[in-house]
Amino acid sequence: MTKTQTVKERIVERYSRLSDDSRKFSNIINKPLKQSFRVNIIKGEKEDILRQMMLYDSSIKKVPWCENAFESDLTNLGSSIHHFSGQIYIQELTSMIPPLIVRDLIKKNKILDCCAAPGSKTTQIADMMENKGHIIANDARHGRIKSLRGNLDRLGITNTTVTLRDFKSFPNTKADLYFVDAPCSSEGTIRKKNAVTRKWKDYDYERFSRMQKGLLKKACEMAPKGSTIVYSTCTFAPEENENVINEIINEENVKLQNINLNGLKMKKGITSWKQNDYDKDVEKCRRIWPHHNNTDAFFLARMEKC
Amino acid sequence: MLTTLDLDKRALIIDYCYERFGIMEHIFDNYNWYIGSKNRIYIGPEEIERLIPESIGLCIFRLDRTPKPTTNFIQLFGKEITKNIINLDRDQTLDFCSGSDLKITDSVEPGFVSIKYKNISLGCGHWNGETLKNQIPKSRFCKINFL
Repeated sequence: MTKTQTVKERIVERYSRLSDDSRKFSNIINKPLKQSFRVNIIKGEKEDILRQMMLYDSSIKKVPWCENAFESDLTNLGSSIHHFSGQIYIQELTSMIPPLIVRDLIKKNKILDCCAAPGSKTTQIADMMENKGHIIANDARHGRIKSLRGNLDRLGITNTTVTLRDFKSFPNTKADLYFVDAPCSSEGTIRKKNAVTRKWKDYDYERFSRMQKGLLKKACEMAPKGSTIVYSTCTFAPEENENVINEIINEENVKLQNINLNGLKMKKGITSWKQNDYDKDVEKCRRIWPHHNNTDAFFLARMEKC
Repeated sequence: MLTTLDLDKRALIIDYCYERFGIMEHIFDNYNWYIGSKNRIYIGPEEIERLIPESIGLCIFRLDRTPKPTTNFIQLFGKEITKNIINLDRDQTLDFCSGSDLKITDSVEPGFVSIKYKNISLGCGHWNGETLKNQIPKSRFCKINFL
């Protein structure tokens, strides 16, 4: 990497050969993302909220693959009355995907969100559970718990217990569903206004990868037979994605499951990167490329404990 | 540290909710009740063994000499509230959300009130017959640009 190479240029150089269209890929990551939000139906009827919002924002458009998700041309919906009252939550579209791929399992279950702050997925799951059932929302950092707590309050979430623990030392807790939205290099959020612009080195990927494997192994160890584990990151880096999953399915008693979400274009996980080959089953993971759905980048794996 | 709220205090709050706001008792049927520091009252899911929580559920009241509803409570249960509601106009709403007290005229009984703009529950206020004292937490104050 040259001194003058930008983070975006580096991302294009590192990952464009993995994408199906390097020109579209490099074009889209230079375009800013639209603001997206989710209607919180715990705090009102979706149609009523949207009708009122349309009075000040005629640009609102429905997102085809998520029934409560919308995009807007406005950039500061955080200063709207509907945000103030907790009727909407500003959230990246890709961040809404993990709960959607296990929609069939969510209602009235016990769910452990291992890395929950700032609460985007937790509040979305609570909304999908109609504020019933039980979510345990954990995070390892005190500062982030404050933002999680603030969002749970604003959105009126009553079914959530918040814990502050390094997940690797979390007491064994049986749940039906585990979400491991792991800390990552966040390269996939490069289109966001305040995106991470640090130029990651190879040893950074290794550091994240070690942490991610530790978190996921802990979730796999405590998960009872038949429960489901969803792993996700917002990075392109195979070191933090397929490489992590490859090790987990080889070492833990879990099997990968297929992932589908109507209306959202997703690509299979890759089975080789640099000098490493991965298990063929890793193709069941899903990559969301920014140029396919005009979103951030994202990675997902859904596993069942055997 | 949260502990289970005793039945007398729980009954006191449920009675207050009915008397003051007309909220029916059955709304609270499926919650577990807890009390934490500073007499904060929470409703939420059941406790889990071996977990030491930072919080459980939602803080809905403070129980000092009398019950004090939180903005969380008013916003969440706003549609169940049938009395002691003050409706604000557009300019008053902008002021209220930014944290101001309001000089208004209204005929509701003095005490804690539910503040609304159109059908949106904004939060809790305290009405003394002349001034509407803002009860929204400072961390939630917001300069509203879109309403």
